[in-house]
Amino acid sequence: MYEQIKQIGRDLFLQNCVSSHAGNISIRIGDKILITRTGAMIHNLKDRDIIETSLHEEDSGIVMASSELKVHRKIFQETTAMAIVHAHPVNAVVVSMDRDEIIPLDSEGSYLLHKVPVVATEHTVGAEEVKEVMPEMLKEYKIVMLRGHGSFAIGQMLEEAYQWTSSLEASCEMINIMDSTNRDFKEYRSETEHYQDW
Amino acid sequence: MHGWTGRLLRIDLKDREITEESLDEKLLAEYVGGRGLGSKIIYDEVDPGIDPLGPDNKFIVAVGPLTRTKAPTSGRMSVSTKSPLTGTIFDSNAGGFWGPSFKGAGYDAIIIENQASKPVYIRIDEEGVKIKEAQDVWGKGIKDSVSYLKEKEGGQYQNMVIGPAGENLVKIASVSVNGHRSLGRGGVGAILGSKNLKAITVSGNKKPSIYDKDKFEFVNYEANKQIKASNLTSRAMPTFGTSMLVNLVNEAGAFPTRNFQETQFESASSISGEAMSEKILEKNTACYNCSIRCARRTKTQNQSGHGPEYETVGLMGSNLGIGDIEAIAEINYMCNDLGLDTISTGGTISCLMEMAEKNIIDYDISFGEEKRVKDLLTKIACREGIGDELAEGSRRFAASYGAQEYAMHVKGLELPAYDPRGLKGRGLGYATSNRGACHLRGNMLGPELLGVPKMVDRFNYKGKSGLLINQQNFVAIVDSLVVCQFTTFAIDEEFFARIFSAVTGIKKSQQDLLDMGEKIWNLERIFNINAGFNKDDDYLPKRFLEETGSGPASDQIFEQEEMLQEYYSSRGWDENGIPTRKKLRELDLEDVDIDV
Repeated sequence: MYEQIKQIGRDLFLQNCVSSHAGNISIRIGDKILITRTGAMIHNLKDRDIIETSLHEEDSGIVMASSELKVHRKIFQETTAMAIVHAHPVNAVVVSMDRDEIIPLDSEGSYLLHKVPVVATEHTVGAEEVKEVMPEMLKEYKIVMLRGHGSFAIGQMLEEAYQWTSSLEASCEMINIMDSTNRDFKEYRSETEHYQDW
Repeated sequence: MHGWTGRLLRIDLKDREITEESLDEKLLAEYVGGRGLGSKIIYDEVDPGIDPLGPDNKFIVAVGPLTRTKAPTSGRMSVSTKSPLTGTIFDSNAGGFWGPSFKGAGYDAIIIENQASKPVYIRIDEEGVKIKEAQDVWGKGIKDSVSYLKEKEGGQYQNMVIGPAGENLVKIASVSVNGHRSLGRGGVGAILGSKNLKAITVSGNKKPSIYDKDKFEFVNYEANKQIKASNLTSRAMPTFGTSMLVNLVNEAGAFPTRNFQETQFESASSISGEAMSEKILEKNTACYNCSIRCARRTKTQNQSGHGPEYETVGLMGSNLGIGDIEAIAEINYMCNDLGLDTISTGGTISCLMEMAEKNIIDYDISFGEEKRVKDLLTKIACREGIGDELAEGSRRFAASYGAQEYAMHVKGLELPAYDPRGLKGRGLGYATSNRGACHLRGNMLGPELLGVPKMVDRFNYKGKSGLLINQQNFVAIVDSLVVCQFTTFAIDEEFFARIFSAVTGIKKSQQDLLDMGEKIWNLERIFNINAGFNKDDDYLPKRFLEETGSGPASDQIFEQEEMLQEYYSSRGWDENGIPTRKKLRELDLEDVDIDV
């Protein structure tokens, strides 16, 4: 598990989904959480950068754990997720600035995600508001964007949460390229008018 | 009400009284249908301490809100009861066409109570319900029974029927649906036998109401896209049927061989899906509204029929030392006609074979002797000679000789065709399943062998309980909707939540569905605890804990205690596997009584 967290931390960085000291990753094991250390270099995690702490109670693990721990805990408490990836995917953050939902244009993104909701809170980093809004959204969607900040993705396995994050970023990169080059989009799919109701 | 009909039939066979009751939408929104509704009714109406074959047991048949809609694989139906084989709460579901016809007659469920004084069958259609005499068809095999009912009632009727095994209260008897699909496990056929109920025949064409047709069409379209895109559901299963697994499981060192003494079979390729397609396959067939088409119509040199499925190939093939696909197919045809569960029958005969080879019992049989296996099948179904002892299942049979360690079961239910030493999460699923060792209670084969949704290390025993629990809760809902679990190779709870909401008009998120599944799981667990089950019943047979497997599993045992404690803790149960009051409050089950 430690190795998988390290590998996915590196891959998130390589895909421009996080900057050097941003983002966080967690896995639930029974009543415990493994979560990345606050301020850790996500692309170069060591064993000491992965902190074990309780799912429900405060313990000494909170001293070192990511500042988003409270959001991760609440998501694990309120959903049956077994893994969480919180990232700052550059293209997805850009797209989140001007819309309330992200609907991929490419077939892979449509197939996997259909629609990704965008939510907005006044405070974003380690904020109580995020703790309240995010678990509710993740009961219905596997990945949700926090406007101007980043994504929260869940999965039964860490690889799933990583896949949703990576796929969303790829889809948003294509949306940005389409927008910046003023290309006309020719619809090639059926039933897409329903995607916003997903 | 949308999706459901809101109508329940209660049939008292003793007094021949038929009443109709309304089903509350709140109850349906919580327990859905199929297994969930069946478990709730059994919990509410059946004393956990009763004799399963006595008059106080009930037999619930239920369909779900998606039945007879265009949702993928919406043709299944489910039965719930207290099992005569395991003594646990038990549900079993089957495909075919019975479920849609029953829903088309205008009902969601039937509760069958008491026992008829002489053999009867029940006919249900849009005109009403009749209890009819079955003296003329009692004693007949499944094929002749179905022909009799078709002739008597007409070809439009779909039949659920028992064979000689069910009539003779064989504890490993199945119920046949449409003559070739089975409510296989737990001896549910014996429950119908104990009630003197030969068959339930149904016909109906009413369509269920859909709340949001546009959204339903769209989600269905997206779901079918995923089913078609998956190699598993669009190519492997239609081409090879469930036996696509034989070579994969054998290579993994998890293919039960000679009563689970080994985990690789030297003749696996001769009984694989590929071999079946080459030697005996006539064509593949499908249940109602299913594009997967995994069912097989087959033909040997002398006979023709349906199947065998993967589990039968494992339990009647490698686990009996039989490496001839034609022989396995013919054994399967016999079981289909006698109304025997091929998994439990195979597991019981392999137990006898090992005991005979080790001179624990004075009986002339060895592994690989297919002719003797065929002879035994009729003896078991008719309770003749040693067949009368084997009809009790492997646990009771082995125990009567003081040889419990040769019975490969959990809670009395014989293990399916995956060895837990090669698939640890699967093994934990067997141990903790509410109906005993079962491969359909949490699909760990996906992540452990097929990479669905993602691949995990199959030999690793740590950190798997959370994944298994989510799978168990999820399939509790799939079984309640009642759709085929094979769809879950391609679509997940996200789709089912949206389909459920569009059909019923009751908004449920994917998390809501998993929470509902958790509640059903805990309710079943509590019934079992109140029936006298405890932590000791959550253990696999000693063989898996002490003896290593073969091939890739040659250095593997099953790490039972570590896995079980992690599982209990992740479930929110105490160290003895009893749901805590806190967990019960969370699930809105605080009023239930637990009699430890």
